[in-house]
Amino acid sequence: MPLIRSKCDNAAAGVLREEPASLASASPDERWAAARAACDPACISSLGDALALELDARVRQAIFTALARIATPESAGVILPYMRVDDASTRTGALDALRAMPEAARPHLPGLLVDPDADVRILACDLVRDAGGADGPRWLCAMIETEPQANVCAAAVEVLGEIADAAAGPCLSRCAERFPDDPFLRFAIKVVADRVRAETPAPRG
Amino acid sequence: MAESELLDAEEYRRLCDYLYRRTGMAFTEARRYFVERRVEDRMIATGSSSFASYFARLRVNMEGEVEKLINAATVNETYFYREDHQFTCLTSNMLQERLRVKPPGEVLRIWSVPCSTGEEPYSIAIWLLENWPEVDAHDVEIVASDIDTNVLNAARSGIFGKRALMRLSAGLTGKYFTRAGPEHWQILDELRQSVRFTAANIVAQTETRPHGLFDVIFCRNLLIYFDDTSRRIAAENLYESLAPGGYVCLGHAESMSRISPLFEVCRFADAIVYRRPLEAKHG
Ligand SMILES: C[S@@+](CC[C@H](N)C(=O)[O-])C[C@H]1O[C@@H](n2cnc3c(N)ncnc32)[C@H](O)[C@@H]1O
Repeated sequence: MPLIRSKCDNAAAGVLREEPASLASASPDERWAAARAACDPACISSLGDALALELDARVRQAIFTALARIATPESAGVILPYMRVDDASTRTGALDALRAMPEAARPHLPGLLVDPDADVRILACDLVRDAGGADGPRWLCAMIETEPQANVCAAAVEVLGEIADAAAGPCLSRCAERFPDDPFLRFAIKVVADRVRAETPAPRG
Repeated sequence: MAESELLDAEEYRRLCDYLYRRTGMAFTEARRYFVERRVEDRMIATGSSSFASYFARLRVNMEGEVEKLINAATVNETYFYREDHQFTCLTSNMLQERLRVKPPGEVLRIWSVPCSTGEEPYSIAIWLLENWPEVDAHDVEIVASDIDTNVLNAARSGIFGKRALMRLSAGLTGKYFTRAGPEHWQILDELRQSVRFTAANIVAQTETRPHGLFDVIFCRNLLIYFDDTSRRIAAENLYESLAPGGYVCLGHAESMSRISPLFEVCRFADAIVYRRPLEAKHG
């Protein structure tokens, strides 16, 4: 029988090291280990500093995970600026991390929905789907009453189609009226309005 | 509407559409009875008086309801030769690839985590003996871990019922098992000795690390139970437990690309699996 059973727990573990690693180390493996070990709120600011300098995608990922594990509004706040960066993979990493801590991300959502940058507002609509909780429909309804850009409204409407109930009907109609020359948005709103009409309101709590 | 049906056809379709969009898990009409019972349990647990109010709660994911329903609807089951296309991929591709880059003579290490009652690691052992012509030329170590020590004890005893064995041919059952009662079979001692069972929580780095580095990890039908943060931690632990260039196989409803960008996707003929890059990527 060639299948073997090893005798020692640590048979192949010799290569793993145990000294405390530093987020500022020159070695990506050490920075990775340091990020993975940093799961206390006291580490938020050093994780934030490290994130600003980190060029290794794998280490950046571990920093995002550490912040998601800490899961406080402060640790979520450290991630928010990365919703604006040009690099798509960092942006996605930031969004995924925020989605992983919905309760911690939630207090930031109302601000993000009125961010001066339209791209950020679109990403914020997407975050409302996972992190908005029971307030999500109300926030998006308020947004589409005043949001000046049609493509941002379209993003909000799409999410409303998934989370809203019949109560969203009137604000959807008013949004459609604000964009008489946008057949795409008007069509999207009609589809969503038909869909949410059948939905009973979610219980509060 | 038949008496047993909690949801009408349209409601069931909306529920399935929703679950598919949220989780990628596809529930068909064939699973309807089963899904309805789980929905019923969750309606009671959440105090929802109608499907409409339960669905409203689900749609805003109140108190993590999506995860809770999925947990309830995913059977905690396992059986021999489950998703054996991945075992085909193991012997046709992954092991060859690993042998190409490993120093000659080094042990090939395979980890089944979670292993539940042992069907998966024993399947791997049987599959290698049956389907890998080179099996005599290499040393293979199979480690199997689970968080639940009760299932580990059952796994060590190696006694299985008919349901667990349903996908094995009579030939294989006859070759690798002895009867242990009218409805039970025990796997041969030699195979029992070939798998090392250990307790490990996959989200605890201190418990995964001592297991060392593996060439191939089977981590099937577990991540689906986790919330995003636990999934990320588990993915990082799996990454650390793989030798560079090592592979991880997930269950069919799970995908690592959503969970973690740490791995490369490898599309082999028989299975899509994930690989820890040989060289760490920078930038
Ligand atoms: C559905 S079984 C999967 C068995 C096998 N991999 C398969 O696909 O057939 C899920 C197993 O995950 C185990 N489990 C749950 N949480 C775990 C954790 N954090 N770490 C390790 N195992 C865990 C459970 O005890 C259970 O045995």
